[in-house]
Amino acid sequence: MFKYQFRWDTVWGSFDFLMGGLQMTLIISAITLVLAMIGGLIIALLDMSRFRALRWIGISIGEVVRNTPILVQLLWVYYVLPIVFGVRIEALVALIIGLALYQASFISEVYRSGIQSVPKGHREAAQVLGLTPLQSFNRIVLPQAIRMTLPPLASNFVQLIKFSSLGAVISVSEITRRGMELSATNFRPLETFTFIAVVYFFICWPLAMAIRFWERRLQAR
Amino acid sequence: MSNPSPLILADGITKRFGANQVLTRVSLEVLERDVVCVVGPSGSGKTTLLRCLALLEEPSEGRVVMEGVPISTPSPDKQVKAAARDVRSEIGMVFQHFNLWPHMSVLQNLIEAPIRVKKLPRDKAVAIAESLLKKVDLLEKRDAYPARLSGGQQQRVAIARALAMSPKVLLFDEATSALDPELRREVLAVMRQLAREGMTMLVVTHEMGFARHVGTRTVFMDRGEIVEAAPGSAFFDAPQTERAQRFLQQFADE
Repeated sequence: MFKYQFRWDTVWGSFDFLMGGLQMTLIISAITLVLAMIGGLIIALLDMSRFRALRWIGISIGEVVRNTPILVQLLWVYYVLPIVFGVRIEALVALIIGLALYQASFISEVYRSGIQSVPKGHREAAQVLGLTPLQSFNRIVLPQAIRMTLPPLASNFVQLIKFSSLGAVISVSEITRRGMELSATNFRPLETFTFIAVVYFFICWPLAMAIRFWERRLQAR
Repeated sequence: MSNPSPLILADGITKRFGANQVLTRVSLEVLERDVVCVVGPSGSGKTTLLRCLALLEEPSEGRVVMEGVPISTPSPDKQVKAAARDVRSEIGMVFQHFNLWPHMSVLQNLIEAPIRVKKLPRDKAVAIAESLLKKVDLLEKRDAYPARLSGGQQQRVAIARALAMSPKVLLFDEATSALDPELRREVLAVMRQLAREGMTMLVVTHEMGFARHVGTRTVFMDRGEIVEAAPGSAFFDAPQTERAQRFLQQFADE
C-alpha cells in the first residue's frame, strides 16, 4: 500500500469521458425527479381517495416499492417487464422508470405530510368565511404544503444522484458505469473510483448543506 | 318561536361523537343585537354548540335555523345545503387560536374572502380592509405577516378578517383563552366596542367580567345541557341552580 505509485494521469486522461458520464447522471436524476414528482402526486391522490379500491391500489404500490430493494426493482423492470409485455426496453428507460417509481413512493409521503402539516383550523377559517373546499385547498392548503415539501423534494434529488449509480449494473452509461469501464482498461480502480466518489461527494454535499440551511430557515418562520 | 324572530337559532341540538354525547337537546336563540355569552366548565359542550352554529359540525339531532330558514340538519337535503351556502359568510367566527393564514400578509388575510367569495373588486376590498384595520388599531401592520404579530394583535386581525365579510352574527370561541392577561384586554376592548355598535354576538368565554358587563344574556352550560339562562348580569347576581352557584364560586375565590 505504501509503495503504491499513484497514477492520477490515467484519470485526467479520461476526464472528458467521465464528465460525460456525470452529465448523464445529472440528466437522469433531473428527469427522474420530475417523473417521480408526478408519480408521487398520483400515488398521494390514490392514497387519499374517497374510493376504497383506489386507496388500496395507492397504498399497495407504496408498500411494495418501499419494502423491496431498489436494485431488485431495477433488475425487475429491465429484465422482467420486457418478458411480460414483449417489448425491449432500453437500459436508460428502464433505469428512469425504476428510479422514478421508487422515488415516487417516497415523494407521495412527502406530499401527504405536507398537506397534513397545515393545521385544520386554517381550513376551518376559510370554510367559515365562505371559501369553497377547492378555493380553500388552492389558496390556503397548497401554498403552505408546497413550502413544506420543497426541501424534502430537493433531498430526493440528492438521493437520486446517488441511486442513479445503480444504472451501472444494467450498463447505463452514467459516471459510475464509465468508471467501471475505465478501470477495466487502465487497471487503476483506486484512482478511478476514488475520483468518482469525490465527484459525487462534491455535488451532493453542498446540496445537502443548502437544504439543511433552507429547512432551518423554514422552521424559524 | 318568540317574537321578534331570532337571527340565529339552535333548535334542540344533540351532538354525538361516536358513543360520546356532547350536546343534549340544546336550544338557544340569538336575537339581533344580542350579545349572548355562553359560560360553563370545560367539556360542557360550549365550543361544540358554537361549531354547530358555525356549520363546522353537523348536529346529530335538531337543526340550526337562520332568519327562519333551516341551514343545518342531520344529513341535510339539497335545500338545506343551498340555504347554508347562501348564509355561510353571514356567520362569522373568531377562533381560540386565531387561525390566520401564515403565508399571507395581514391585508391579504382580510381581502381574500371578500374577493373570492363576494367577488368584490380588489380596490374595494382593500378599502374595506384598511378601514377595519384602523378600527382594530392595526393599520400600520397591514403588510406584516401574522408570525410577526403578538397574539393579541393576531386575534384583532382575525376579528377584522371576520368583519370584512360583514357578517350578521359573530361567534367567538374562547377568543381570549390563548392570550396573556395584558393581551386579553386589547381583544376584549375590541369586542366591547363591537357590542356597543350593535353587532350580534355569541361569545363562548371564561371572561366573567365581559359576560357580566357586556353580555345582554348569559347562558350557563354543563355536561352538554343549558342549565340556566338569564338576562344581563342577573345570572351573576342570583344564580338559580346549585350547579351554576358552584361554578361561579370558583371565580369568587380568585
